[in-house]
Amino acid sequence: MTALEPIAVDKPQAGNFKSDLKPIWCAGCGDYGVVTAITRALAAIGRPAHEIAFISGIGCSSRIPGYTTAYGFNTVHGRALPIAQGIKLANPELLVLVASGDGDGFSIGGGHVAHVIRRNIDLTYIVMDNQIYGLTKGQLSPTSQRGRKTATSNFGSLEEPVNPLLYVMGYGASFVAQGTPADMPGLARIIEEGIRFPGFAFINIQSPCVTYGEEDQQLKAQKVRMRSLESIGHDPADRAGATERAREYGTRLYTGILYRNPNPPRTYGQGVIERQQSLQKLAAPRHEILNRFLPGH
Amino acid sequence: MSQDLIIGIAGAGGDGVVSAGESLITAAALEGYHGIMTKSFGSQIRGGEASCRVRLATEPVFNPNGPLDVAVALNWEDFRRFGSELPVESATIVIYDSNTGVAPDKLPLDGVTPRVVFSVPITEMAQQHAGTEMAKNVVVIGLLAGWFGIGRESMPAGIRKKFAKKGAAVVEGNARAFQAGLDFAAAHPLSQEHQLAAPHTGRKAKLLTDGNDMCAAAAIFAGCTFFSGYPITPSTEIMQFLDREIWKYGGTVLQAEDEIAGIGAVVGASFAGKKALTATSGPGMSLKTEMLGLASIAELPLVCVNVQRGGPSTGMPTKAEQADLFQAAFSAHGDCLRPILAPMSVGDMFGAIVDAFNLAEEFQTPVIVLSDQEISQRKETVEPIDTSAFRLVERKRPTEGDLAQYARFKLTESGISPISHPGMIGGNYLASGIEHNELGRPTASGAMHARMNEKRFRKFNPLQNRRDLFLVEGDPDAPVGLVSWGSVAGVAREALRLARAEGLQVKLLVPKLLYPVAEPVYRDFFASVRCGLFIEQSYQGQLYRLVRMFVDLPALVEPFARSGSNPFQPVEVLERLRKLAPPLHGNGDRHPAEKVAD
Repeated sequence: MTALEPIAVDKPQAGNFKSDLKPIWCAGCGDYGVVTAITRALAAIGRPAHEIAFISGIGCSSRIPGYTTAYGFNTVHGRALPIAQGIKLANPELLVLVASGDGDGFSIGGGHVAHVIRRNIDLTYIVMDNQIYGLTKGQLSPTSQRGRKTATSNFGSLEEPVNPLLYVMGYGASFVAQGTPADMPGLARIIEEGIRFPGFAFINIQSPCVTYGEEDQQLKAQKVRMRSLESIGHDPADRAGATERAREYGTRLYTGILYRNPNPPRTYGQGVIERQQSLQKLAAPRHEILNRFLPGH
Repeated sequence: MSQDLIIGIAGAGGDGVVSAGESLITAAALEGYHGIMTKSFGSQIRGGEASCRVRLATEPVFNPNGPLDVAVALNWEDFRRFGSELPVESATIVIYDSNTGVAPDKLPLDGVTPRVVFSVPITEMAQQHAGTEMAKNVVVIGLLAGWFGIGRESMPAGIRKKFAKKGAAVVEGNARAFQAGLDFAAAHPLSQEHQLAAPHTGRKAKLLTDGNDMCAAAAIFAGCTFFSGYPITPSTEIMQFLDREIWKYGGTVLQAEDEIAGIGAVVGASFAGKKALTATSGPGMSLKTEMLGLASIAELPLVCVNVQRGGPSTGMPTKAEQADLFQAAFSAHGDCLRPILAPMSVGDMFGAIVDAFNLAEEFQTPVIVLSDQEISQRKETVEPIDTSAFRLVERKRPTEGDLAQYARFKLTESGISPISHPGMIGGNYLASGIEHNELGRPTASGAMHARMNEKRFRKFNPLQNRRDLFLVEGDPDAPVGLVSWGSVAGVAREALRLARAEGLQVKLLVPKLLYPVAEPVYRDFFASVRCGLFIEQSYQGQLYRLVRMFVDLPALVEPFARSGSNPFQPVEVLERLRKLAPPLHGNGDRHPAEKVAD
């Protein structure tokens, strides 16, 4: 008796998820590392590219769907989340990724974040946070530090930055993580964990702007500053502890999973499917829909 | 006997005025009559004054306006607040609650002295027979049933059904109140001439609904499985209806956080391969325009209903206007074209929505449907619709051959490129708001941009000859041409009827497809026309101006246009037509109306 050969399984490689489109990014941009981390995470997940919808808004970061082989949608400024919600609810089987920058996600599109969180739509929201508007050549962003001098804050910013981590924690996000391309394996891992999480997952990525960013934001400096949450003994199930660490955004660069709800709440999509299934039997044939307008019906 | 009866009822909020109107038109629909009911309220959210107008007729009617044949006042203060919405003439039969203490010869009607007035102890009758003033409206429908012969059989059944949940005592009390109304009418007979004649189209029951519910039902028929929108008057009932129904068909309603997110989710659902709808009114439409541009360049089908109200800005949320046509035609920046459809009645809404989904799918484009406050909110009888006569169009999907070398935005002869959706193997592509090449890859090439723009316009060429999206009535070679659209087209149709009855040679064009302007259709229509009117409820006369961008109109064709909240009456259109007379009645003939005046 001869042993059967193990059946060869075509395990997808990260390369399967990279398109041959050449990025428009500057040499040295942090976003190159992000696309690599995303494709590695997708390879680890193993879903075929045609079952993935990758949605983005406008900005340097939002070019990212085109650099993957997934179904991509490079939409308008600030509206990636509403469009992604429509896609996920229209076809809950899809793996839905959303990419934004700090301006797209927390300035022009900031209003949508609260609602996607409270609905708990099962998608992964990746924000490439570089504290600057890069595509329009160096203006103040909602995460720029107070006092920062930019093309539109020549004498220094007069406003406090948004804290993306605290923002999403405040609205009750169930999965919150932060990473950087300076730690590629760690970044790929949190993206994978975010995708696997059953519900809304938020991943803030400190992805430096090589052209308009400051010296201490670059990958080289990040490598020195970054601290893994694991290494400081942070428990991702500890919501209060996660909120405390989130407050340190801007002063400390933590990487890893900040918060993962140990009891993930029901997703919006689950509610939709249950409702559809329970009401299905009440459907009159479509062509009889007008009968309800007969008086006394 | 009467062929056409307009009844106006007004009272305080809580008097059940609208409920009485609904009972009347429901009975009429059951008995095969044609009818339209509109309602109007004071601006308070609860309480305040309420009124309704119910027009019942033996033949199809297209517009609810005109002076009242019957006026019912539960109190005069509230009745008078509606002013020109409830016009009383000397021929109007006036019925009022004697509880108001007003003497029949001292009605507060500004110089009008109606010939027939009934002072009825409505409040006392309600209290005596039902034990509550709340039954006043039931007394009123009893009176109207008695005097005008509508619903004598069906209304008691309706009363039983309506009050069944409140117990036998309430049911019996209301049944007695209704009978008291009938008895009062029998004891104070009105001449036979006022009784409504039998409907000419037979006693078969008609459908009864309003434009918003019809819109939602039509969307379900068309295969829509996704709706997202934001509550806004006067469109909200579309979302409410779909939330009750769409789940049963595997669909979803998402009440979005704002108007932008509403249409955004619809763009997403369409990208995912579903037929999707959003609905709003003017202010929401202003917010949605960026997404319309995105759906146009990404060539994604969707339907966006704008239930027009008075504008600009918050404007007049509960009043009809047709002033959003320019916005619809020129919404979003850049060179772009989005088809615009407009139903002219509640019944017409069904076809307009099915057509809208069909055009959206066929041409991979957003389609805007311009409804208006009147169509959306008025209840209308509708001849049962044979839904099997409607064909449903699905977007063109890529074949296996297409997928072997898939180019989402392929420059085809028709300009229509097969469209895949996530989940389809081999159809992966990048949809984008940025200009792209045939493969969907971003491009900054001027040559490619020009070719894509040309494609995105060329694909709409077949719309120039969609004559099924136009209604033409009247004398084909008439020298006088009327053009009207939306709910105002109903007024124009009745004016046409009146004018032709006077011997005027007139014809009417009602475009249901407003944009792109179908040039051959207008050229053919105006070939025989020397003068005419565009009748529109907007200050500028927007359709008149829009058509003139594309078609040279005869010099004597002019807009008859005015702002909303001041509905046109068929009679005033007729008067305008008479004034157009001299050049019309060639051979030196005088206008027939002028001969009458001699």
